[in-house]
Amino acid sequence: MRLLTTLRKQLRLFSLILILAAGWVDAAEKTPQSVQVTIRTILAENKGDEFDPKLKGMEQQLKPLKYRSYRSLKDEGQIVPWQGTKSFEIPGGRSLTVAPQDFQNNRIALKVRLTERDKPVIDTTVTIPNKGNFILGGPPHEGGTLVLSISASAQ
Amino acid sequence: MSECERVQETMGRWLDGEMPLGEGESLRAHVTHCAECGEAQRRLEKMQLALKSVLVVEPPAIEFQPFWQAVERRIQEKRSWHEDWFDWARGLFTAPRIAWAVPLAIGLLLVLFSADGWRFGSSRGSFASVESIDAYGRSVALLRENESKTTVIWLYQDQEDENEAADDSAKTAPAF
Repeated sequence: MRLLTTLRKQLRLFSLILILAAGWVDAAEKTPQSVQVTIRTILAENKGDEFDPKLKGMEQQLKPLKYRSYRSLKDEGQIVPWQGTKSFEIPGGRSLTVAPQDFQNNRIALKVRLTERDKPVIDTTVTIPNKGNFILGGPPHEGGTLVLSISASAQ
Repeated sequence: MSECERVQETMGRWLDGEMPLGEGESLRAHVTHCAECGEAQRRLEKMQLALKSVLVVEPPAIEFQPFWQAVERRIQEKRSWHEDWFDWARGLFTAPRIAWAVPLAIGLLLVLFSADGWRFGSSRGSFASVESIDAYGRSVALLRENESKTTVIWLYQDQEDENEAADDSAKTAPAF
C-alpha cells in the first residue's frame, strides 16, 4: 500500500515535469516577429592576393571558392517582417529579394530571388540555422565574380 | 611450624597493613631481631615496589577544555553553500529520490530525441539546406563545405549572358 502511494506521487511529479518540458520545447518554436537579414557583397578575383580585413570572419567560408583575392563591396542589413519581403541592391544593376518563409527547430527558411536588369537570375528557398548564412555566388562583376553571403537572425 | 615460618607466611598481610595492630607489633619485634625474617621483609618490600612501578601508572592528564570549545565552535559555525549542496546531492542518491530520477532521465531523453534536429542528425542542424532552386535555364552547382559548414550555391553564366556582359572578362566558373 505504501509502495503504491509512493509510486502514485512519483508518477504525478514525473507527469508535471514532462508537461513543463513539452511547454518549454513549444515555447522555443514560437514564430519570430521579424528576421534581421544581412547581405554581404564580396568581389572575388584572381588578381592580386588581397584579402579584405573586413572579411576576416569569413576566411574559412570563402576558402573553398579558391579565388586569389576577396574584397568587400557592400554590407546591408534590413529587418524583414515575418512573411514580408525586402529588396537589397546588389552592384551591377542587380537586386536581391528576401522573404522569410518558415521557422522550425531554430532554422529559418528564406525565399531568395536574384534579378539582373529586372530579369530573374535565380529563385531559391534555403533553410539556414538561425544566425547562420549561406553563400550565393557566380554573377560576373568588374572583371571578377560576385559572392553574396546571405545571413538571417530571428528577432 | 616455627616462629619464623609463621612470621614469613603472614608478612604479606602485615606489609599491606591488613594485620590487627597488636599482632603487627609482635611481628615487627620479631623481624627486628631475626636476620632471616628481616631479609624476607626486605625482599617482599622490594618486590612490592617493583610491582607498583609497573602496575600503578598515572593516567595522562587530558585537556577537555579545547575539546568542548571545538564542539561549541562547530555547532555555532555557519555551514558553507557547498556543504549544503553536497548534502543535498548525496540525498538524491538515496532510494526514494533515485526512484523518480530514473523515469525523469528517460523523459528528458525522449524529449531530446523527439526534437527534429535529432531525427535528422546533427549535420542537418548546422548546414543550410536548399529546399528548391530555379536558375531559369542556367547551370547551378551546390557545394557543402564540411569544415566551415558552409552551403554554396554557384551560378554558371550561360553563353547569352556572357555575350551580354561582354566587357566582363571575369572567370565565372566556380574555382572549387
